[in-house]
Amino acid sequence: MKNKNTNNLVFSTILGNGSDKNSNGKDYNVQSSTFRLIFSFINLYALILILLFFIVKGNLVEGIDNNFLDTGFSSVLNARAMLLFLLLTSLNITAYFNYGFKYVCLIMLVYMLNSAIDNAVLFSGFMHITDRPYFSAFNVTRPLFIIALFWVFIIHKDKDKSD
Amino acid sequence: MFENPQLSNFFWLSMSIAYAFCFSSLYTYLTIPEYTFELNNNAQINITMKLATVRLVIVAVALLVYPMILFRFFKYAKYFTVALTAWAVAIYIDDIFVLTEVIKYPESGLITSIQSLRPILIVSLLLMSIELVFRPLTAD
Repeated sequence: MKNKNTNNLVFSTILGNGSDKNSNGKDYNVQSSTFRLIFSFINLYALILILLFFIVKGNLVEGIDNNFLDTGFSSVLNARAMLLFLLLTSLNITAYFNYGFKYVCLIMLVYMLNSAIDNAVLFSGFMHITDRPYFSAFNVTRPLFIIALFWVFIIHKDKDKSD
Repeated sequence: MFENPQLSNFFWLSMSIAYAFCFSSLYTYLTIPEYTFELNNNAQINITMKLATVRLVIVAVALLVYPMILFRFFKYAKYFTVALTAWAVAIYIDDIFVLTEVIKYPESGLITSIQSLRPILIVSLLLMSIELVFRPLTAD
């Protein structure tokens, strides 16, 4: 009798935890409209940035001189675009399942800050606002993207208190 | 005023390794002999040292702030540790895969050994992050 009670307790604990963490039950949190708006902005900004890279790579934009791309910036942009895409995908997945969102958001925030510092230190000599208005627009508005990520990180409502 | 974080010995060991590595890096980059730059005076090395200086400033700030966050604001320690881990991984990936054609470290035995030991720092930080993120809630 005692074993049966213990087993029931174990099963109910396992099932209880399982339903809390993995099911799409009634206990999910509805995010605020501000969150949804900023999250859409983050997605849009990142996608346009990745798209712009592919346009530049395919020589579809005028005003990008070859010297600029020969400095090694092309390979840097290539790797950065791929990493950004992977992080953006992870961010969307964690937002959908509402699990681990804050950590992925933090990782993306740190990654964007690091790439901004790298660009400022390594390529500041090659970047002139009037030469490449498309890139300059994104470099100038990058703090806005970083602020948006930080904002989303703060206002996100977790399902799990430990998260 | 100060909280007792009640963490495992494994965490303190990882933290000691991470601190030892960071102090070694600071010592290495601050004591590079000047003739190293005179011998290899090219733009790539200069730009690399510029980037290394910015990174070392961030490392120095993190070394000072981390104990404060761990003992005073423990609630935020896991986020801070995850951020530091993400940064360590990001700069490692940057150096190995992204900036390979752009940066070049000076040829010095100490710098080479510090660069090759970077995965140890990443592993230590990862272990610290895992302990802080998955530790039992009751100790909070």
